[in-house]
Amino acid sequence: MTRPIRWLGLILLTAGCTVAANAPDYSSMPRWNTRAIPPARGDIRTEADGRRVAVRYPGWSTKDYAKFRTYAYDDWRPEPSVSRAAMPSGVVGDAKKGRALFLDRQRGPCTGCHLVPGDDVWPAGSVGPDLSTIGDRKLTDAYLYQQLWDPRAVFPLTVMPPWGVQGVFTPEELVHLVAYLQSLHGPAASEKDADRNPFTRSRPVGFGDNLDPTNNPAVLRAESAAALWQARGPKGKACAECHPGGVENVMRGVATRYPRYVPAFNRVMAIEDFLSVHAPDTTGQALAVESAENVTFTMLIKMASNGMPVAVDTSSPQARAALARGRASFVRRVGERNHACSDCHTPDRGANKFLGGRLLGDATGGMTRHFPTWRTSQNDAWDLRRRFQWCMTPLGANMLAADAIEYAELELYLTQFDNGKPMSVPGIRH
Amino acid sequence: MSDIGKVRLRLPSSIKAGDVVQVRCLIIHPMERIERDKAGKIIDKKYNYINKVVVTYLGKTISTFDTTQSVSENPYFAFTLKATDPGPVTVTFHDTLGGKYEGTAQITFG
Repeated sequence: MTRPIRWLGLILLTAGCTVAANAPDYSSMPRWNTRAIPPARGDIRTEADGRRVAVRYPGWSTKDYAKFRTYAYDDWRPEPSVSRAAMPSGVVGDAKKGRALFLDRQRGPCTGCHLVPGDDVWPAGSVGPDLSTIGDRKLTDAYLYQQLWDPRAVFPLTVMPPWGVQGVFTPEELVHLVAYLQSLHGPAASEKDADRNPFTRSRPVGFGDNLDPTNNPAVLRAESAAALWQARGPKGKACAECHPGGVENVMRGVATRYPRYVPAFNRVMAIEDFLSVHAPDTTGQALAVESAENVTFTMLIKMASNGMPVAVDTSSPQARAALARGRASFVRRVGERNHACSDCHTPDRGANKFLGGRLLGDATGGMTRHFPTWRTSQNDAWDLRRRFQWCMTPLGANMLAADAIEYAELELYLTQFDNGKPMSVPGIRH
Repeated sequence: MSDIGKVRLRLPSSIKAGDVVQVRCLIIHPMERIERDKAGKIIDKKYNYINKVVVTYLGKTISTFDTTQSVSENPYFAFTLKATDPGPVTVTFHDTLGGKYEGTAQITFG
């Protein structure tokens, strides 16, 4: 049964491409010198001993993933080719070692997507199939080994990373993992806690009214930027002098149109990007991308449009070209994990499933209209770019500068799913 | 912050007679901390911080909180009360410089 459906999918995909007829065009991209704060530039530093260290935000991994593909438009490396591998002989699989590898948070962890038995498996995800009784399926060791080495050889559209090809697990470790999987037999033990099992786990309820200042600390922070709006910058001018009438009136509706193509800079810009060039030109304030001032100012400006429907341009030639590139980025496989955004954030794949304990958002439902958002887990307000960069690191891809054109166009692609829906900034999320 | 003394008071959106409801309030206030000079000596001056919070419900004072400098800037307070009758809840903040800031919310049943 699966074969005709797969062929149908292929036909539809081909037809879709023909109809869209706007393959991404990267031929006339301008160069952009980043105006982000140093930890947000995606820089790589070489230490005295020759070690290469990624410069990222305090507390983030500093591992350099230069070996792997990124979102940069001038990174033309293809995705790793599909590879078949036979199980190495002379290694005896040890199920106990395999289980430790399965749970190892420094590797997969496999439990991020798959449920297996054990109270120490916490929290398991539901992106991939429940493996609690996979041993009963009597699959061959060679088949399981191939699935771990590179599942694309069997399932071309899988969201599972090619662990062996990318070198996350060694062949010997994969043999231990196979032994562990073969040891999982039914019947599955009954659950002591319904929340252990991602298929029965209760869904997060959110954090209440995001616009209530007694509930969302970011609201006060944004209001404090109103003083900045009135303050004169180094060039002796204040925002309020050129934009009189109060930020809540003069900026009403402006944010609904961003990100948009800005002819003066020949690129797509979100509010954050625009502030980082417009403020130095006018008031003399730096408002570097990802600085606290920039994020706070962005919230202030976006709050003036709260309740209004998002209305980004999707029809001008520049917007259409940017959307085609943004869409290509959305489905582009990057990093050590060889993941695409669409693997986790489209409803036919990971969206609305658990990755570990986190419920994955659905990009096609619109995920951008509450950014910048207060992150309860980080105790800080984050804009969408820092959220992008945060996603890159566990994927094993070096992040780009926060104000990179690649991110701006990806943001535009994501924001068009919000068109017509009301803005609500700042949001509050985990 | 420019709007010192701005008080925001929030009640649950639906309240039934006899419910124990949570009242949440937030005030913009600098809550000045003790400053020290280079030698580490406390600078002697009148510090501006909220030292008294008074809650009234249906015209009666139902609670008074004495607060100190150790409370954060822009403090947030939450407390519960039993909503016996519809009427106003008022929270008044007094600071050490004589400032008096008030916020009111109406309890309505429905």
